Amino acid sequence: MRHSFTAVIEQANVYTANFDTEPYETGWATEARWFVRLLEINGDSPGLVLHPQISPDGLHWMDEGSEPITFDATGMMQSLALRDFGHWLRLRAELAEGTTSVKVLIYLALKE
Amino acid sequence: MQQLSADDLRHVLLSANPALSRFNPLPRILFVNDFDEGTHGWCELSGNHDNNLDNLRKKARDLRPPQLSNCSFFDTGTHGSISGNYALKVSTRPVPNHMSQLIKRFTYVAKGLVQFETYFTYKAEVVEPGEIDSERGSRAWDGNYHPSAAQFGEFTISNDVGEGEDGKRYHCALRYQNTDHDGNFVQKWKYKTSLQPTTKMERSGTASPDDYHVMHPDDWEDVPGGYQALCYNEIPTKINWHYLRWVFDTRTRRNTELQVNDLVMDLRDLPVPVYDEAYYGCERLLNFCIDVRTYAPVRNFLWLDSVVVSADW
Repeated sequence: MRHSFTAVIEQANVYTANFDTEPYETGWATEARWFVRLLEINGDSPGLVLHPQISPDGLHWMDEGSEPITFDATGMMQSLALRDFGHWLRLRAELAEGTTSVKVLIYLALKE
Repeated sequence: MQQLSADDLRHVLLSANPALSRFNPLPRILFVNDFDEGTHGWCELSGNHDNNLDNLRKKARDLRPPQLSNCSFFDTGTHGSISGNYALKVSTRPVPNHMSQLIKRFTYVAKGLVQFETYFTYKAEVVEPGEIDSERGSRAWDGNYHPSAAQFGEFTISNDVGEGEDGKRYHCALRYQNTDHDGNFVQKWKYKTSLQPTTKMERSGTASPDDYHVMHPDDWEDVPGGYQALCYNEIPTKINWHYLRWVFDTRTRRNTELQVNDLVMDLRDLPVPVYDEAYYGCERLLNFCIDVRTYAPVRNFLWLDSVVVSADW
């Protein structure tokens, strides 16, 4: 049986500026899928963009290169599948200009 | 010809088993968790809520998911665990006083001795030179001592035992405090002297604590004979595994003994706070918890290679 694990990377946390999710070790996994639920977004022209990032050591990061997850309203869930990502994953989150805060629930679903 | 007793035979069988001979289990093994095989039910602790995560109490949210770690570092790559590649990793955020806690949920069949054994290691994350106060703890790198040793705060092993609505509930908690909040070495084992505020208590007006385990941060006392310098091994990318064996007694509602490498501490006379009020739905509750807390703006890590829990029932 293949191992699998779902990690809650952001537990409905609120951010008022750009942020990176915490480094998460994925060396055992072949498949990864980010799920992002945007619970709240506030501001004049709300927008949130999340870029998948990879790292050799959990310290130094680069964009993985996939199309980012993009939101302009709440009530949505989006996902992004990744493979060949090495041993670490995180998301680099950018709040659009005019966005004052976001509340996000982010899952990382991993499979061997 | 001399006959083997049942105890002798058991000893021989355990000694000949490479996975178990480094442990000393009580008569009944409840579980053996080798984290090369997965997380084995060790999961992120969460406080109670009404399906609205906004109602999680402050100290019981964002306690971070477990990670299956191959213990990789920027300078030498994968360190690996004792056997195989993976260990269970508990990681804080790089935020002073952030705590990460994992829990394994069980119930008990009978009251008696329960023993938690593990091989663990710990580190502060590597930070760029100058990224934080490189002399935290007032001591610079000299080729042997590394200031990251003073960037690791504490880790705690604890339980949650509930006897049911007609009985008591209590938490035993034992903490290794590496430094104080200024980065000065403490390196002592501590036991707690007050209750862990629960969600029910907080919703009834008890203030949210600064320290997850106790009502007030000062509610910790030194375990007699509990000074212990652990093996940091000079830099933050070398990890050395330590043996830990913790016994508690659900008959006396007390800790019994803590062994960490060659230090054995008798805990039987140390008080354990017991809740006055009853808790619904916690019949025969037997939970095991591990947590790590950073005092500095540096991630703190605790890794467990494997866990064996046994009982005398």
